[in-house]
Amino acid sequence: MATAGDMTHTGSSTAIAGVKDFFNKNLVKILAFSLFLLLALFLLYPIVAVLLKSLKGPEGWTLKYYTVFFTKSYYFQSLYNTLILGLINTFICLVFGFCLAYMATRGPWWLRKPLKIVSLIPLVAPPYLFALSLIILFGRNGFCTKLFGMDWEIYGFDGVAISQCLAFIPLAFMMIENTLQSLNPNLEESAYDMGASEATIIRTITIPLLTPGLLKAALLIFVMTIAEFGNAAILGGRTPFLAPDTYTMITGESDFEMGSVLSVVLIAPCIIIFFIHNYLLEGKKFTTIGGKPVASEPRRITPAIMVPFTLVTLISCGAIALSFLVVLLASFVNILGVDNSLVLTNYFDFTTNYAIYNSIRVSFIAALIGAAIGVLLAYVIVRGNFFGRTFLEMVSLSGFALPGTVLGIGYLLAFSAPPLKLTGTLMILALNCVFRFIAVGVEAGISKLHQINIEIEEASADLGASFLTTFWRIVLPIMFPAFVAGFIYTFMTAIVSLSAVVFLVSPGFDLAAVKIFDAAVYGEIGIASAVTVKLVLIVMLCMATLHYITKKTQTGVAQKGVF
Amino acid sequence: MEKAQKPVMLVLKDIHKFYGENEVLKGVSLEIPKGQLVTFVGPSGCGKTTLLRIVGGFTDATTGDIILDGRRVNDLPPNMRDTRICFQNYALFPHMTVSDNIAYGLKIAKWNKERIRTRVDELLKLVELSGFGDRMIDRLSGGQQQRVALARALAIEPKVLLLDEPLSNLDANLRLTMREEIRKLQERLQLTTVFVTHDQFEAMAISDRLVVLKNGLIEQVGTPIEIYDRPANEFVAGFVGYVNFLKAKVENVDREKRTARMSTEIVCSLEINMAQDVQTGEEVLLVVRPESVNLSISGNGCRPNCCKGVLKSYMYAGSIAKCTVEIGDKKMIIDQYNPREAERFHPGAEVDVEIPRNVHILKR
Repeated sequence: MATAGDMTHTGSSTAIAGVKDFFNKNLVKILAFSLFLLLALFLLYPIVAVLLKSLKGPEGWTLKYYTVFFTKSYYFQSLYNTLILGLINTFICLVFGFCLAYMATRGPWWLRKPLKIVSLIPLVAPPYLFALSLIILFGRNGFCTKLFGMDWEIYGFDGVAISQCLAFIPLAFMMIENTLQSLNPNLEESAYDMGASEATIIRTITIPLLTPGLLKAALLIFVMTIAEFGNAAILGGRTPFLAPDTYTMITGESDFEMGSVLSVVLIAPCIIIFFIHNYLLEGKKFTTIGGKPVASEPRRITPAIMVPFTLVTLISCGAIALSFLVVLLASFVNILGVDNSLVLTNYFDFTTNYAIYNSIRVSFIAALIGAAIGVLLAYVIVRGNFFGRTFLEMVSLSGFALPGTVLGIGYLLAFSAPPLKLTGTLMILALNCVFRFIAVGVEAGISKLHQINIEIEEASADLGASFLTTFWRIVLPIMFPAFVAGFIYTFMTAIVSLSAVVFLVSPGFDLAAVKIFDAAVYGEIGIASAVTVKLVLIVMLCMATLHYITKKTQTGVAQKGVF
Repeated sequence: MEKAQKPVMLVLKDIHKFYGENEVLKGVSLEIPKGQLVTFVGPSGCGKTTLLRIVGGFTDATTGDIILDGRRVNDLPPNMRDTRICFQNYALFPHMTVSDNIAYGLKIAKWNKERIRTRVDELLKLVELSGFGDRMIDRLSGGQQQRVALARALAIEPKVLLLDEPLSNLDANLRLTMREEIRKLQERLQLTTVFVTHDQFEAMAISDRLVVLKNGLIEQVGTPIEIYDRPANEFVAGFVGYVNFLKAKVENVDREKRTARMSTEIVCSLEINMAQDVQTGEEVLLVVRPESVNLSISGNGCRPNCCKGVLKSYMYAGSIAKCTVEIGDKKMIIDQYNPREAERFHPGAEVDVEIPRNVHILKR
């Protein structure tokens, strides 16, 4: 302790010591604040920019653009289509997902293996893969169209609905399976024991207890369906949907005001659902776990249930597997429907390969930054104790809730002028991916931190280490697996994402996902397929690495698909 | 296998169960008479819960027969067998009230509302939970949940009641109370019951018969007294309570008086009553229970079956004193109930250890 005498000699060094002290004691708060600034700048500011743009006319604040939206029948139709699509898709995905999950947890062993594979699809395949496969089979030059002389128009509501279903059934399956597995099997066995038939058990026990889980799944699927850009844009045809309409507004007609209005309308249900999903439904579980774990043996299931469920399973798995197969085959076809010779030229297209190279670069940087910030955020959220901590957590996780198109437009509006002119650069793409998917790194970090007893850090402090030393030498090394998991998962998600980056690419700097989109729209199916195959292979490689690492280090990563 | 005097309710014939390559039940055969409470007891992994689940129909036996009240039920699913199970974690339906839980099976059996209501009230009274009908499950204590689970299982009286470690999740005091309640209920209803537990004392306290399992095989079936006093082998002997095993060799056999003289590893000659036949020269194992041994301070001359030893530790606890005595190389654990002259026993004292004449003999 400095005495009065010391003060005169060492006044300045005491001041520096004072600053250092302050720094050490409040490191967490300082870190939290800096991270918050980053999030505010790169996540909140773009959204606000979109909101402001929708309200600002040439004469000042106005609601006239909203009026236009709600009065013009075209926009109303777009909104209507989007919402109906969301509802239909959610319903189908829930029903199919439930059947699949039920079979996966209680069905015969031979059925469980293929289901395991299907559950990996959402991590590997971007949803627009299914639009592509539908075009290959049922498009104007499609294989089935030509073979059977069909005149079914795949472009339009039907096509979009089917591709969205195929894309999100695996996701619904994964989420429902998760909940089903945490359901104590003894509950159903008790009901069985008391004389209930399989159907009665499902009706009176299984589904009522699953309701919170089903609700959460439904909300997530709904949000992802209405926000997804690729399928709706490729297969929409003359049928309007909100997400592709924002794209046409901005890139086609440079109408930023209407584009912003559409974005706000699109984002509204997403934000509401995000709140309900994360904060109202959190922790509401009806499942009871206790006692000894009982092996999930296959049960005898009566044919009345077994037959329809197996049928649903086989149809879903078949359709999804077929889609992949079809895309793979089409990648070798010269010009689909016109010249069906098998070639390798689609794989050696220079522009697309360069685009893939760009995608790898952008995703790599995004993953690096994203995982780093994510892990730091996780630490601050879990260990920090400051005002606004829940708010910080909410903002970090909100990237998942925001439709990619909205963030894409937001970045265009926010960063197209000094002092932060990023448009046309690699950084804008990377940063967009960083903050859209920051939740991945955050959740990996949070789950890892929950595994670490805080007493380890306390022991380090007890032994004399300063906060910084503890953080550097104890916390970070232990969190490293979470960083790696977050890195790989962010990389995988970023490289296939389309909805946001489609607004941010520039001539000369293209990305693989956008190339697929363009090629699909222009009918260059061979090219589109080849790039898709290459992307899928890259992502599969990442998946394998991720699987290996999480197994070795018991790190958990959020299993949500984000596109 | 036990020859039953009463009518037989459940017969298990040579049950084998494989999980893949792993054989979990290696040929279990058993007859359970009507109205008896039989406990499957054994260490973790012995197969007792698997056996219970096979009886209930939740798991299929790989080979073997399950015959319930004269009828082969292998192919019947649980909802068609007349068994009822109570799981360790009770498995009460959390989204239903107490009454709805109990009435679940009755609704399925299509009883009319009046009949259901009467029966539910009856059952609530039986388990002393009258008035709790409208409560949600999460508002009940552990013991109360246990009783609801029982009531639910008894709603339509089953032929066999299966209890899978029902008391494991309760604290010690509650466990004792509930144990008695279950036993009283079972006796009153004359309900054939199969009880699974890993707690040997619990098993002994309430069972008519114990089935001791190890590694998928039955080691012994018997009454609690048979299991404790006349264990069939080393494992069963050591399974319930502590045992001092004494290696001995038969030196001399007196067939008229039915006694045998043995030399033991504690360099002490013993005269043992022969409950079974032994031959001269045979090597045997004596099952010496800690509480059956008489301990006294040396000096009163040695009676038959008395060995000299040194007291290593003496833990006085009022009604019981737990001692360790060293006789030569061997350490013996001895329990002294109602210890007299406790002040004279201190570590290092020379003591006389009297092995009773009626110890159980195991062949080696």
